[in-house]
Amino acid sequence: MTTESAYPADDPHRLLASTRELARGVHRAQRATWFPLLVLAAVTFASIPVLYGHHTLTCKAVPPAGRVCGVYSTAAFVYWPIALVLAYAAIAAFYIHRSRARGVGTRVWPYVTAGIIIAVVLTCASLWAAHHPPAGGYDILWLHGPQSLGWFLRLASPSGAIGLALLVLAWAERNRALLVFTLGYLVIVLVPITFGWVMPLSPWSFLPRLVIQGSVLLLGGIGFALAQRPARLPA
Amino acid sequence: MTSHPANGLDDVVHQRVRLGILTIAHEARRVEFSYLRTNLELTAGNLSQHLGVLENAGLITIEKGYAGKRARTWITLTTAGHAALAEEVTHLKLLISQVERADTQPSRH
Repeated sequence: MTTESAYPADDPHRLLASTRELARGVHRAQRATWFPLLVLAAVTFASIPVLYGHHTLTCKAVPPAGRVCGVYSTAAFVYWPIALVLAYAAIAAFYIHRSRARGVGTRVWPYVTAGIIIAVVLTCASLWAAHHPPAGGYDILWLHGPQSLGWFLRLASPSGAIGLALLVLAWAERNRALLVFTLGYLVIVLVPITFGWVMPLSPWSFLPRLVIQGSVLLLGGIGFALAQRPARLPA
Repeated sequence: MTSHPANGLDDVVHQRVRLGILTIAHEARRVEFSYLRTNLELTAGNLSQHLGVLENAGLITIEKGYAGKRARTWITLTTAGHAALAEEVTHLKLLISQVERADTQPSRH
């Protein structure tokens, strides 16, 4: 323990450098990026058995004497909102516990609030889109049908909701590494992944997409856990 | 004629430890006494003195409570504290830029 006299004089350069270093220290103490990523990876992987086989075909008549159909997962509209709200509650609880243990306030609330709002709004948007198939129809992977609608539906998917909320966490935590990771994750969400062998109407159509997105979150979580490990050790 | 930026410096804030307290409280939203003591490398008595100065100036609020059986003291920045910190940082940057400008100008004899 040193005393005040050991500190450098009140030189403006040193004062500003010192404040920046203290601010960085607070940010390091507040960050727990690995935890949300691991929770969201678990939620993504857990959705696979839930989503298997629960698909609904919605058709509407299109004159003259035709009809367009949309295929969507009914279980997804129940599983994802509940799973995401529970995930955000767990993340908030973890950050609060960590905040008390570390002695610094938490920045998790904007993320949790945005995450829940985005999840609810995008679920409603997806539900509306599922019941209003476009003239060309669409399928569970949103590969067939209008391209702009495909982009929108992939962004409005639960994985898109996870990515958009992670952007808020990157801002709240002042975390550039998380921002870069999230932008990469959103690219994976927006780009249709088929490997050319997926049968659009197969009950496993969604599998490659969810496995890849879940794996990215899992690897990201492990990576951030390793990177933030020194900060997690007790002082 | 404009006044020198050093004239705008607030004596309460323009001090390494107190500026550190304000910076940490600003970034953390709410900070515990022990975090400040560890990160500013101060004794409890010394930190308490600085906190007293800042509290008397209306720049922070101090809240005492318990987390389980442990007594905790939480420090939060007031609106005046946020403003004072922003003003201090602005003045420091102005001061640095003026000094650097003076250094780069050729001397006139």
